[in-house]
Amino acid sequence: MENRSLIARLTARPELGPFVLLLAELVVFWSINPEFLSPLNISNTLSFTVELGLIALAMTLLMTSGEFDLSVGSVFGFAPVLMWTLFNAGVTSLGLAFVVALVVAALIGFANGWFVTRVRISSFLVTLGMLLVVRGTALFITDGFPQRTWSAGGHWLAEVLVGDFYVGPFRLYMSLFWFILFALLLGYVLTGTKAGNWIQAAGGNANAARARGVKVDRVKVALFMLSATLAGFAGIISSIRTSAANPNSGQGYELEVIAMVVIGGTALTGGRGTIIGTVLGVLILRVMRNGIVLIGVPGLAYNIFIGAIILGMMTLHSFLDRRHQGAN
Amino acid sequence: MARQHSADGTLVRMVGIEKSYGRVRALDGVDFTVREREIVGLLGDNGAGKSTLIKVLSGAVPATGGAIYVRGEKASIRSTTDAIGYGIETIYQDSALVTQLSIARNLFLGREPIKGPRLLNRLDHERMNRVAGELLRRVGISKNIPPTTPIGSLSGGERQAVAIARAMYFDSDLIILDEPTNNLGVAETQGVLSFVRNARDSGHSCIFIAHNIHHVFQVVDRIVVMRRGRVVADDIDPKTSSVEAVERVITGMTEAGVHA
Ligand SMILES: Nc1ncnc2c1ncn2[C@@H]1O[C@H](COP(=O)(O)OP(=O)(O)O)[C@@H](O)[C@H]1O
Ligand SMILES: [Mg+2]
Repeated sequence: MENRSLIARLTARPELGPFVLLLAELVVFWSINPEFLSPLNISNTLSFTVELGLIALAMTLLMTSGEFDLSVGSVFGFAPVLMWTLFNAGVTSLGLAFVVALVVAALIGFANGWFVTRVRISSFLVTLGMLLVVRGTALFITDGFPQRTWSAGGHWLAEVLVGDFYVGPFRLYMSLFWFILFALLLGYVLTGTKAGNWIQAAGGNANAARARGVKVDRVKVALFMLSATLAGFAGIISSIRTSAANPNSGQGYELEVIAMVVIGGTALTGGRGTIIGTVLGVLILRVMRNGIVLIGVPGLAYNIFIGAIILGMMTLHSFLDRRHQGAN
Repeated sequence: MARQHSADGTLVRMVGIEKSYGRVRALDGVDFTVREREIVGLLGDNGAGKSTLIKVLSGAVPATGGAIYVRGEKASIRSTTDAIGYGIETIYQDSALVTQLSIARNLFLGREPIKGPRLLNRLDHERMNRVAGELLRRVGISKNIPPTTPIGSLSGGERQAVAIARAMYFDSDLIILDEPTNNLGVAETQGVLSFVRNARDSGHSCIFIAHNIHHVFQVVDRIVVMRRGRVVADDIDPKTSSVEAVERVITGMTEAGVHA
């Protein structure tokens, strides 16, 4: 009896589908090429995972509130360009340049939120416009050339953001620590706090929420700012890890991030979101990217699989939704 | 539980309310009162202006003329939030709840209890679920529905019970229901009628609008009839009047009204 209700509760969770899919991926890739689960490969996969993952975590909250952000890929490219330009020009120290880049990213998010909530333009159009403005700015201030980044590690910022350490045979990066920290923090915010209740209500039924005194617009603006700030933070981590600040980097990330979030079970239309699902969605896409290369499928075929996963998962979520509604 | 009483027991008084939609005069000088602990049935044909009147009272549409007094004091109601602030809450069939959220989360939406340090902003789930459970029993939901159930999997009648429970818990003095029994089955309808009675018995007033006159007769203390934007009868006692007589007032076949 106890057991059955536990199983029933598990199958009712939207995260079950993504979880099974991730397991299936691991088993298939591993059985074709056992190297797949080698410490080196796991370490490598994890280090790339967290950069997109950080953006996906913020996007989960934003999408739960009923909005989304197409400008994250541009901010991902722009924030490190700004940081390194300030530093290389000798205007500020690296630490201060880092803070300035994050503040500017937050302001970009604020602008997105302002247009969406005050001017009442849809987030699709606002953030599409911002995508172009921010990418254009990054290209303009760099003339399209990558910025020089210093290669010597050892600066405290590099240590804190991408420093590595070994846990047994696994080489782990500090960026993984940041990802886990934000996953726990935002997971708590979404399900355990008053703010989380407001986020879900804002996306589920904004008018009903407003009538109860929920500050829907303020919630959305804050989440746009979070989304842009974490995109900038992720871009900076990436630039230090690869020792390159390329004004073109991050192109197309917005769609991959949104794919990660919806595969995990967060509703594109708002009202329902899950951080656990997003973590699974992030892993599913990253493992797929890594795995198909490792088993010898040309990397160019990656999008076929991603597209198929999105369609498959959306079908599953919609089927489960309908079954859930029909049961009552 | 009720706030300060006004001298004559009047909770809400609307005086000379006017509302035009372009050239349509939806409300043409309406006087309307609700006393404390009273269920008023508002009847009238389609287009008579019932919904418009209660929308003015609940802040959903602005009146073009007239005044509203709550407990004897002039009230300025410009939004739903203003109305809730005056203790006036409207129950819509579904628009006022968030279907994705649980019963407990909906009940406390906007007034969530916090546990522990304020900085952590931590929801007091335990208290929310306990109070929600008690309230569901108080409005008389018979089935055992856990307070963690999402609104989306409740029936229409159960959803309204949740909304009524919320209004009762947060001390709304006046609960307005506009056609709450539309699209409901027989058992569900009886449920909603008993929620309304329970609300009155615990000290709240109600305005009850329904198409089905029999439903109104079962539950209200006083009947007000509107026709073409005016009140044509405002003191019909359902205990001493017949359904047929009231129907004649609604259709305009008896201009003088029905007297107790
Ligand atoms: N939003 C609106 N725009 C224009 N006319 C409206 C609007 N709402 C109601 N009306 C008109 O006002 C009159 C009263 O409508 P309503 O209050 O909905 O009546 P009832 O609820 O008694 O059926 C009707 O003539 C209706 O057509
Ligand atoms: Mg109506």
